[in-house]
Amino acid sequence: MSEPHLSLQPAAPQPTAGLASEPKIQIKNLEFFYQTGHRALKNINLSIADRCVTAFIGPSGCGKSTLLRVLNRIYNLYPGQRATGEVVIDGENILAPSYDLTRLRAKVGMVFQKPTPFPLTIWDNIAFGIQLYEKLPKADLDARIEWALRKAAIWEEVKDKLKRNGASLSGGQQQRLCIARAIAVKPEVILMDEPCSALDPISTARVEELILELSDDYGIVLVTHNMQQAVRTADFTTFMYLGEIVEFGETDQIFSNPKEQRTQDYVTGRFG
Amino acid sequence: MDAARSAPANPVVARRRRLNRIVGTLSIMATFAGLFLLAWILSDLVYKGFSTLSLSLFTLDTPPPGSAGGLANAIIGSLLITAVGIAIATPIGILAGTFLIEYGRGGKLAELIRFVNDMLVSAPSIIVGLFVYQVVVAPAHHFSAWAGAVALGIIALPIIVRTTQDMLQLVPDALREAAYALGAPKWRVIVVVSYRAAFQGILTGVLLAIARISGETAPLLFTALSNPGWTTNMSSPMATLPVVIYKFAGAPYADWQNLAWAGALLITFSVLILNIAARSFAPRTRN
Repeated sequence: MSEPHLSLQPAAPQPTAGLASEPKIQIKNLEFFYQTGHRALKNINLSIADRCVTAFIGPSGCGKSTLLRVLNRIYNLYPGQRATGEVVIDGENILAPSYDLTRLRAKVGMVFQKPTPFPLTIWDNIAFGIQLYEKLPKADLDARIEWALRKAAIWEEVKDKLKRNGASLSGGQQQRLCIARAIAVKPEVILMDEPCSALDPISTARVEELILELSDDYGIVLVTHNMQQAVRTADFTTFMYLGEIVEFGETDQIFSNPKEQRTQDYVTGRFG
Repeated sequence: MDAARSAPANPVVARRRRLNRIVGTLSIMATFAGLFLLAWILSDLVYKGFSTLSLSLFTLDTPPPGSAGGLANAIIGSLLITAVGIAIATPIGILAGTFLIEYGRGGKLAELIRFVNDMLVSAPSIIVGLFVYQVVVAPAHHFSAWAGAVALGIIALPIIVRTTQDMLQLVPDALREAAYALGAPKWRVIVVVSYRAAFQGILTGVLLAIARISGETAPLLFTALSNPGWTTNMSSPMATLPVVIYKFAGAPYADWQNLAWAGALLITFSVLILNIAARSFAPRTRN
């Protein structure tokens, strides 16, 4: 498998390196049900490595977003949706009713499909999350906000307009603002639900670069419709179909040498 | 354009064009009919009311027939009763709208309240007046501005509930999810995200509610009644512009009728200004 290396691909991790070490998230026998009783996830078993990008790909309705939304229990907002099985992060089952949701969300941040700047200033957008957990003096807060904005590669563009409304930024800038907002609370994992699907190609490239950089420090779980994006950014890829994991492996292997026929058909564009 | 006209006549296209022209003409005529009536009312109002407009309108109280006077007591009465009514209705209305969207959404209770509230929006205001007469005026054995404010508050309430509900509904769920995903508690999501996003819309709703109640007459006849003299005592009967207009316009004295016209002009322009203000606050459509 000496495929020509894609330029954006980071140095490929040692095979199974991420997984041989303790995985950041371990999903065991996960099932998910919507209010209607629809079983959207069926017996999901998956390990997600720390400091790597793990992509979920698959056709619409395959459950990839649903799976992502289990990892920070955002589905809990909607009564009637429930998950069974286990999702273990740092040795604790986050699905346990006793697990503190605020703690979970401090640890697992999320970026959404459409940019979601709050109707606040750029500065307040970032401060909102920080102030939920920490009471920092103004100078420290300013420093943290600058750190987050730099980390999200948007500092240079917004440093002179921190008091402007977040909605005044372009779509791509808004999305990086949202990434900065997620980073600012110092999470360990960042969930990204098709973060580029509402962006133009140039903004997409910037966000993808950012994803690669951030994966040095965070575990990133990326849902994407765009297979090229998975190839460009992900260390590991999970192909899902009809609520099940069909195949999981290193991205190179999934795209160049899939073991399953259905994966082969999907990644070569024969369906989905 | 000419090329299109001289193109070979296709019967379907020709029929569509004819129909398009007929419907277009009809809608323009309907628009002008509506605008004509509005212009008629306004010009009549300005023509008849303008001559009585003077400083004494704002400094003198309503006079007995045949002597000089103004509308000062009715103006202050309208301002006071409307302000108190809105002060009662706004917090209750916003909180109720918040419950409907942020807490009870999809539940049976919220569904029921929403239905009843929509009914209240279109409830005849005289019924509200009679109701307040029953529960406030009759037990107290006298008419009062308080009772008038309660009646106007009851009329404004469902409007504020409805707009709050509509505006909060427009706040994208993705925005709320984003706040929850950061670990924010519910009250913080509502105050910092939902209210901020819906603020202009809710403010517009309150302004429109003020515009609506500032012209209400029937409920005040049963509650605040009227008062020939100046008072700011909310426990006594109080004059208001709509009630004075009602009384003076129907009277056989020319000077009273003129004052009624001037009062009508005042109310109309206040409502116009409120509507313009509401419009300038209304959220502009995004994306």
